[in-house]
Amino acid sequence: MSWVSNLLNGLAFGSLLFLVASGLTITFGLMRTINLAHGAFYLLGGYFAFDLFERTDNYWLSLLLAVALTAALGMLMERFLLHRLLNQELPQIILTVGVALIVGDLLLAKYGGNPISPPVPAQLEGSLQLSDTMVFPKFRAFLIILALVLAALTVAFLRWSSVGAKVRAAVDDQDIARSIGIPVPIIFLLVFGAGTALAAFAGVWGGALTSLSPDAGFEVLLLALVVVVVGGLGSVPGALIAAFAVGLLDQFGRVLFPEWALFTVYAPVALFLAFRPTGLMGQVATR
Amino acid sequence: MTSSRTTPEWVTPVLVLAAVALLVVLPLVVASFYLFLLTRILILGLFATAFNIVFGFGGMPSLGHAALFGIGGYVVGIAVSKSDLSFPVILVLALLSGTALGVVFGLFNLRARGIYLLLLTLALAQAVHGLAYQQVALTGGDNGISGITREGLPVPTSAPAFYWFTLVLVAMSLALMWTFMRSPVGMVITALRESESRLSATGYRVGGYRVAAFAVSGAFSALAGLLDTYLLGSVSPSSVAFLLSAEVVVFAILGGARYFLGPLLGAAIILALEFYVSSYTTRWTVVLGVLYVLTALFMQDGVLGRVTQLSRRLRRNNVKPAPLETEIPRPDEMPVLMKPDEMPVLMKEVQS
Repeated sequence: MSWVSNLLNGLAFGSLLFLVASGLTITFGLMRTINLAHGAFYLLGGYFAFDLFERTDNYWLSLLLAVALTAALGMLMERFLLHRLLNQELPQIILTVGVALIVGDLLLAKYGGNPISPPVPAQLEGSLQLSDTMVFPKFRAFLIILALVLAALTVAFLRWSSVGAKVRAAVDDQDIARSIGIPVPIIFLLVFGAGTALAAFAGVWGGALTSLSPDAGFEVLLLALVVVVVGGLGSVPGALIAAFAVGLLDQFGRVLFPEWALFTVYAPVALFLAFRPTGLMGQVATR
Repeated sequence: MTSSRTTPEWVTPVLVLAAVALLVVLPLVVASFYLFLLTRILILGLFATAFNIVFGFGGMPSLGHAALFGIGGYVVGIAVSKSDLSFPVILVLALLSGTALGVVFGLFNLRARGIYLLLLTLALAQAVHGLAYQQVALTGGDNGISGITREGLPVPTSAPAFYWFTLVLVAMSLALMWTFMRSPVGMVITALRESESRLSATGYRVGGYRVAAFAVSGAFSALAGLLDTYLLGSVSPSSVAFLLSAEVVVFAILGGARYFLGPLLGAAIILALEFYVSSYTTRWTVVLGVLYVLTALFMQDGVLGRVTQLSRRLRRNNVKPAPLETEIPRPDEMPVLMKPDEMPVLMKEVQS
């Protein structure tokens, strides 16, 4: 393993983390709704795509359906459970951990505990020849590009689209937003749907990278949470930087100090947050 | 604690004594598989009570307490498998490492509040979890350390003896924590929850008290971890895992985080349910998840909070006010949604 391939693998894992964290950034970072079931929706996306692909053998159809189904489930959870707990972080945590436990156990009942791998589009199989001795899977390279594109799209959407402006207004001051005619509950529902859709999308792609098992939900969730917080709540560029940093820390930690893997991710993160609780690009909470 | 106007002062001590007497004689009457459950309730109840010093009393929502629990368990596991230290030394080591890790938690969290404190404690616990998982030579990695016998303990190895041993240690710990929370330092820790800014403005150095709360909580959490390892005969990364950190939060909230004995009650409810439900279905985790959802939606004040509300309402109904000439309700009869002293301050603190 050379430095370059470690670097690329770290970036690919960071990209996966960003895919997961992007959904969290808008639901948790913007809406301030903590969704610890995000990892469960990640799993659902991956498992749905896996199941649908087995049945239909059509990659894009199964990807689309898996994302849509998961987003619908996410919106149901928001509407009927989470919406009652607006702005109450601790109950939100308990509720979503509960939902995550239910989803994880039902997946275990349906698909068993063995890891599965969601499908990969046929065009992305195989590797790129980087130099005479080094190859890099096309899928991972595409993942890195995908993360960058997604970050750009999310930033642009929030900053320049009229829906994005309404979202920001709804998050900033619910009452004023309502009074000027923004349908805040619907906006929240849609934002949450978008967040879970991103989780499911990340599940299909990330699952193909690392493989999925019913207990993988919390692992990826906790890393993504760390990314969101280190980046600063609600900041997409911050999350992107943090995701790459955490991905590289993880990769090099595993290679250089295998006995200290994970510790090399969480200990620096904890130290960083101790001095800067609001993260890289987070604003001081005004509420 | 809200001592009611109608009950005489001797009632509480008598009730406590009766409960203790009942707990002492239980092993003589119940079957041995219930004894395991009872011992586990005591141990996790101790953990939940220790957690609540930081959470319910200190108003600091830690989501990483499993690390403080697990470190006690791993001290036992490593000491028993790698050395021949005697039990008193292991006990002191476990208490010291729990305190030390608690101090680390407190120091790291000096600047973090609310949601940031939640996530920072989570990150710290994950760092500890990473160590437990990856330092295979020391901790046994994913498999953990098993085959830990109770032979080193100063009591016989039988189940009733271990139950009594646990009961004594847990009762002593609860008494110590109760005294601590009533001491001036404990009062300041409770004041942290009520209003840290006013406390600070009055001249208290709040940072030191925050660290103290974590240190005391860490010591007793580690003691619970030590007992749990002896009970199960093994320790694994699940003792330091995120799910345990979340579960102890649910113990505290379900029982009533505003009450000293609330978390113990919450632990008893969930563990007893687990025991009962598991004999009917293998899908206990689904039931546990549903329980979490219901707790979040309907039991934010906990069982004890609900009981207090109910008894207050009953008392209010008994004392009927004289009928007024006009229909205008008196201020104290107006439909107050929540009295200031009933407000779940905890929830409010976390929000800000």
